[in-house]
Amino acid sequence: MISFRSNTRLYQTLAAKAYARNIQYRGSHLLHNFASAAFGYLYACIWIGLGRDHSLGDYGTIGMLHYITFTQTSLWVASFTTMGLGIPQSVRTGQIALDLMRPVHLFTHLMAKEWGQIAYQFLYKSIPIYIVMQLALGLTPIDGGRTLPLALTALAGAAYMAICMNYMMGISALWTTESSWLYWGNQALMNLLAGFFIPLEWLPDWLQTVAWASPYPFMLYAPTQFYLGKGDPVLLLGTLAWCAALTLLCLLATKLLRHKVEVQGG
Amino acid sequence: MNERTIGDRRVALQNYIKLYLILIRTSVRSRMQYRFNFAFGTVLAAIIQLSEFLMIAIVLAKFGAVRGWTMHEVGYLFAVMTLAKTLYRTFGNEVHNLERYLVEGELDQLLTKPLPVLLSLMPRGFRLMPGELLQGGAILAWALGEMLRTGQVTWWAIPQTLFAIVTGGVVLFAIGMATATCGFWTTRISMLQNMTEDAAQTAARYPLTLYPGWMSGLLLTAVPVGLVGYVPALYILRGELGLWVFPVLAAASCLAVLLALRFWKFGISKYQSTGS
Amino acid sequence: MEMMTSRDMPTVQAEREAAIEAVGLCKSFKTPVVAQGRFSGIRSLFSREYTTKEAVRDIGFTVEKGDFVGYIGPNGAGKSTTIKMLTGILHPSSGSVKLAGIDPHRDRLRCASRLGVVFGQRSQLWWDLPVKDSYDILAHMYGVDDADKVRRLGEFAELLDLDEFWDTPVRKLSLGQRMRADIAAAMLHDPELLFLDEPTIGLDVNAKRNIRGFLKVLNEEFGKTILLTTHDMDDIEQLCRRVMVIGGGRLTYDGTVEGLRREIGLPTEIKVTYRAGYVLAGQGDDLIVSGDMQTGAHVQPNQESDLHAADSSFAMRIVSRTESTLTVEVNREEVRTMDALRELGHWGEIEDVEMREPDFEEIIRRVYG
Repeated sequence: MISFRSNTRLYQTLAAKAYARNIQYRGSHLLHNFASAAFGYLYACIWIGLGRDHSLGDYGTIGMLHYITFTQTSLWVASFTTMGLGIPQSVRTGQIALDLMRPVHLFTHLMAKEWGQIAYQFLYKSIPIYIVMQLALGLTPIDGGRTLPLALTALAGAAYMAICMNYMMGISALWTTESSWLYWGNQALMNLLAGFFIPLEWLPDWLQTVAWASPYPFMLYAPTQFYLGKGDPVLLLGTLAWCAALTLLCLLATKLLRHKVEVQGG
Repeated sequence: MNERTIGDRRVALQNYIKLYLILIRTSVRSRMQYRFNFAFGTVLAAIIQLSEFLMIAIVLAKFGAVRGWTMHEVGYLFAVMTLAKTLYRTFGNEVHNLERYLVEGELDQLLTKPLPVLLSLMPRGFRLMPGELLQGGAILAWALGEMLRTGQVTWWAIPQTLFAIVTGGVVLFAIGMATATCGFWTTRISMLQNMTEDAAQTAARYPLTLYPGWMSGLLLTAVPVGLVGYVPALYILRGELGLWVFPVLAAASCLAVLLALRFWKFGISKYQSTGS
Repeated sequence: MEMMTSRDMPTVQAEREAAIEAVGLCKSFKTPVVAQGRFSGIRSLFSREYTTKEAVRDIGFTVEKGDFVGYIGPNGAGKSTTIKMLTGILHPSSGSVKLAGIDPHRDRLRCASRLGVVFGQRSQLWWDLPVKDSYDILAHMYGVDDADKVRRLGEFAELLDLDEFWDTPVRKLSLGQRMRADIAAAMLHDPELLFLDEPTIGLDVNAKRNIRGFLKVLNEEFGKTILLTTHDMDDIEQLCRRVMVIGGGRLTYDGTVEGLRREIGLPTEIKVTYRAGYVLAGQGDDLIVSGDMQTGAHVQPNQESDLHAADSSFAMRIVSRTESTLTVEVNREEVRTMDALRELGHWGEIEDVEMREPDFEEIIRRVYG
């Protein structure tokens, strides 16, 4: 990961605060999970319906239910991060100039906060949704849960990539007032190119090519393959490479941002 | 107390329509001031819509049909849902965004206006949605075009579909308004909207026979998104049911809106007695 | 439309009605108790425990047409709740409100067209639209015809310098500009009654002056009745003839600004310079100021003392003293200035006297206590 300088304590505090801020609302969030699980159930119903008339390839109907369960669960780690890491809002209020003045790098500062958020979402959203969907669909964890360590490692990489991507989307708010569209665009691409609903190998060839040229497959598809016990551990190298590439892009974007703020005064 | 006559009401209505027209004009004008942002938003909206459709299209291309519904038929369901939703969100976007008004206390402002809250809320955000319109229209043209070519439907399908889109928009508006009303008690409504709007609309892009009976039952009654595309498609595309579908749709959408309005009024009165 | 008819046919009855009449206003809020401890999140979802908070208790007052009333009180005292009840946003738990004889809760729509409301913290203008577009929309909402709209905006533009940001989207306005635009918006339909909730909050001196000037014109030349809440005491001193103070949900004072000053009995400060030192009478020798005391040094608080002059029963308190000057506080409700000076004259030969009336800020600090 990136250099954490000597500010480890600060980053820990930032993450802990972001986590604690959410804890207050966990009651309503738990309720929210039913909505999310209902969505997952809906997608599962579609695959069950399709499975009645067709064979579902290597996966089979049960395999697809596992697939959907895991992607739906992973969304809260790899996709539903804070919109633009809160940068658009801070640009609107002018807070961004202050944030840039702080003695910590904006990127690591916001990342620490987001890790707290993600940790919270993993514990209070992903896990409950996973359990509810397992119960609703009558599933048990694959291989008694032995595939989970590798899958969760890949998912942690996906979370890091999600932070990087949101950071860059956030920074775009300095150039356009419509940066929230990027967030929704990103969500849409997650659905399509990350294999949220349809395994990537079922996409048309050209779309598969597009997908594998992007970081998206490593955000949901790769962790899910690990979960299903199908993934080749080599895939983790892809995750690592994209993490590194996105980090570089983020640092570059920060430079641009700094320049823009200095020139325009926010 | 209110001694408004029918004539007064007509004047008030005319005034309101004028107000709305001005709003549309200014909204278009202000969006055009930021051409880049407008174009950017439009393109991205279209891409989002397209990728959503691709998700369904890929499944259909891979498996051919869903429970006996062809690719074009499912495309039709998708397009009608998109267009009905566009209709609802173009005019009723602020109802959907009620949470923001509740959290930031802007609803108080609206209560000082000489109009019913709903009527002063709606014109606060008239939204142009060319991306959605374009995408929905294109998919509808593609789906209906193919079915016209094969003779599955006649040209009658077009006015019938337009009718279904309008009643569908009204139904979605009613669902949105009823969901938003819950916010007068809970303030936060995004979770509920996730269920009654997002999930329900996603579900109704597929033939309802895909789902277990209790679920399709819910989607036809409690959260009647099934009335938007599925029920009209049964008649228009597949010749099931009968011509009576249209008066039923009209009646159902009116009933939904009336019920939602009742609930809304009740919610507002609760809000006024408890505050934020 | 309603507004036009109601103003075109003013009845004798309406003329005699008070602009605002509030009787026994009470408002209590129920808030659910947040559960603590294990599973608190889930438990609070199903909990039916509430605490009741009485935000406003039995407030009653009458505001006559043409009055300019300041409504002050510390944060959380119930100011906003009262304003919300007066404007028809909230229903009172008990009590009633009449605005020019109309109940804003039974007849909200009719009342709304006679009211202008400005919330200092929020804008009623359209965020993304140029200012003038917001006025077009509001004119239609309130049924103001074009001729009236143009004439009024012309007047406002002159008084509030609206021209400089006529075509600017509201989100790009400075706070001062936005507030000016907002007040003009609230007056566009020419309401008889204007409520302002903290209209000068966060503004700079110039913007405040501009807005106060406009409000003064509205009140004095156009006869509008105005009620404002504020934390800025200059607003009250420069604008309001009457001030109401709310504390803990109750009306604790209702009267003139001078009356408030008197009621609290804040002391007047008198600073006396003696030609050749002074000797404090009626106290021990240790209070005689010695020559080695640093000039300008302030007396420590624990050295402050009440002096009881031998020949009268009034109190003076020494605030600070130097070698040749003495600053004392006297309550002018109890002591006439001449008596105080005569007493001070006993202590040494007076060269110069400076007097300072209590600061309004100080009054408010005591009221809010």
